[in-house]
Amino acid sequence: MKLLIKQLATSALLGLVSVSAMAQTVGPNGETATLSAEVTVPDDSVAAIQAANYKAALLWHDQSDFVNAVSAGATDEFKRLGIEVVATTSAGFDAAKQRSDIETSMAREPDIILSLPLDPVTSAAAFEEARDSGVSLVFLSNLPAGYEHPRDYAAIVTDDLFQMGKQAADALASAMGGKGTVGWIYHDADYYVTNQRDNAFKTTIENDYPDISIVAEQGISDPARAEEIANAMLLKNPDLGGIYVTWAGPAEGVLAALRANGNKTTKIVTLDLSEPVALDMVRGGNVAALIADEAYELGRAMAAAAALRLAGKEVPAFVAAPAITVTADNVAEGWKKSLNIDAPASVTSAN
Amino acid sequence: MTPNAALLRRIDLQRSVIYLGFLAIFLFFALTLHDDGFLTSRNLTNIVLQTAPATIMAIGLVFALSAGEIDLSFGSVVAVAALTAAVVMQTYPMVVGIVAGLGAGALIGALNGVLVAYLRLPSFLVTLATMGLFAGIARSMTDLRSIPVLNDTFTGIFGSGSLFTIPSLVLWTIAAVVIGHIVYRNTRFGAHVLATGDNARAAQVSGIKVPRIRLSVLTLCGTMAGLAGLLYAGRLQAAKYTLGESDLMTVIAAVIVGGTALGGGKGSIIGALLGSLLMGMLNNGLILMGLDVSDQMIVRGLIILVAVAVSLRDTSR
Repeated sequence: MKLLIKQLATSALLGLVSVSAMAQTVGPNGETATLSAEVTVPDDSVAAIQAANYKAALLWHDQSDFVNAVSAGATDEFKRLGIEVVATTSAGFDAAKQRSDIETSMAREPDIILSLPLDPVTSAAAFEEARDSGVSLVFLSNLPAGYEHPRDYAAIVTDDLFQMGKQAADALASAMGGKGTVGWIYHDADYYVTNQRDNAFKTTIENDYPDISIVAEQGISDPARAEEIANAMLLKNPDLGGIYVTWAGPAEGVLAALRANGNKTTKIVTLDLSEPVALDMVRGGNVAALIADEAYELGRAMAAAAALRLAGKEVPAFVAAPAITVTADNVAEGWKKSLNIDAPASVTSAN
Repeated sequence: MTPNAALLRRIDLQRSVIYLGFLAIFLFFALTLHDDGFLTSRNLTNIVLQTAPATIMAIGLVFALSAGEIDLSFGSVVAVAALTAAVVMQTYPMVVGIVAGLGAGALIGALNGVLVAYLRLPSFLVTLATMGLFAGIARSMTDLRSIPVLNDTFTGIFGSGSLFTIPSLVLWTIAAVVIGHIVYRNTRFGAHVLATGDNARAAQVSGIKVPRIRLSVLTLCGTMAGLAGLLYAGRLQAAKYTLGESDLMTVIAAVIVGGTALGGGKGSIIGALLGSLLMGMLNNGLILMGLDVSDQMIVRGLIILVAVAVSLRDTSR
């Protein structure tokens, strides 16, 4: 078995097999996704990479548990490969700040940049200098417009966005017994990651669950407004069987609205892990499931892809890490698998 | 030492805090980061390029604060102006786009000005409302989409171009600071702005048309934010509704650290430039030091707190 995995990994690195297709998450040019587990630095390349004393910059779009876990995965892999992390930044979703962060970190002359381009249009110019200087670029989930593989970047690594939305739909449908009405709270912004996940949820409900209908749709741009949005939704649709919330932050507000209304029947499903939301789930509250990605694994795969490029190996253009459905039954394992940290004690002890 | 001399020394310290602070932080980064690229001309130029839009906005805000008003809406104006210019340039010549972008900024500024000067509404509340209003309009203008700016002349003038090897964003900064400083220090308009901010009633009595001054400074603020929007659009070769969103606090901090009084009647354009460069230098240096993001925010916050405390401390207490 071990040998088979090793062979698969090696052949993936050599680009001989395009490997397991993962649902409908495809790359920006229709590339099939390669499993992140197949992107590894072979033992015989490690010494050469270590000897080169490469430097890396982690230029993130924002700060969150998710970004921390991706950073941790990348940093651990870089440590193994003897690569120094010389700059870490957060653009706070500001495209202009992201451009400044790239320029600033270039003063440290990194060989590798891991980043989530905030927007294909604005990031095209922002990454130009780094690309032209031959930096090994690995992007998380998003691609600057006009960039081509392998000429301009090493790889895109992403969570399996379609699967995340689909698994959210499956989990909510299962909690609702396959019938009823649903409210859909989506991220009202031009942001690839959330847009893909939100739409995958909607498509799955519409195609796979004929007895479930989406009766209310509401966009959200400011997570702080989730509670009032949910209140308005419940006022118009008091019999909602379930609510999909685009990510865990606003789901906390939706949960607050349900509690304030004394509503114990409407089920919630959301994406990403959050302690207060998970706590409600393990206590048998409204939350049916949390869908998470393997954030730590994403970071590890990004670091590996960047190093492989510097080592002159072929790197698959589009790499995806699987989604995990976390319910009350597997909360401890799910947390560990997603963020590579133990689930909060409050969550595990309440289970 | 007589009490007067002691007071004089304190005032001097307050006035020069921005210069001393700027120098101290520059020297600190220069010494600690000399192997990490901080002192390279490329990196130092980057700091000026990155802060150009904030500097331009800061100059507008110095005028508004000096007249006793505040503008909180300029961040939203940046996005509206950039998007207006980008959208217009998709169909019309570049000049029309520039005029439309700057015009949008000036119009929003004038709207703020009319509400403040003639309807006697407090500028804090008026611009708080228009900040939200125009943030919403920026979002709906293009349905959250980014609009690419493909006109090379435009991106050259407002973004990546240069004249006699000086980057255009540096030229914009120099031009705005020089003109701003002269208008602020050496013209009747500048004197009237300061007089209005110092004591509006006295200014009115002495024949200054106070409402007109208020309208002018807020229109100027809007126009400068419009120009900042064009600079962002040129630099990113695109316009997006998020432009300017995070600039409000940076620009206010830059202006206050630079010695402009929140209550009006006192200010400095050169101080605002140094304040803005200081903010950019802090961002730059803390990243190059390899600090993680939370630590960068903590250190930046503490330094700004110290700078503001020293520059604002009321010596009469």
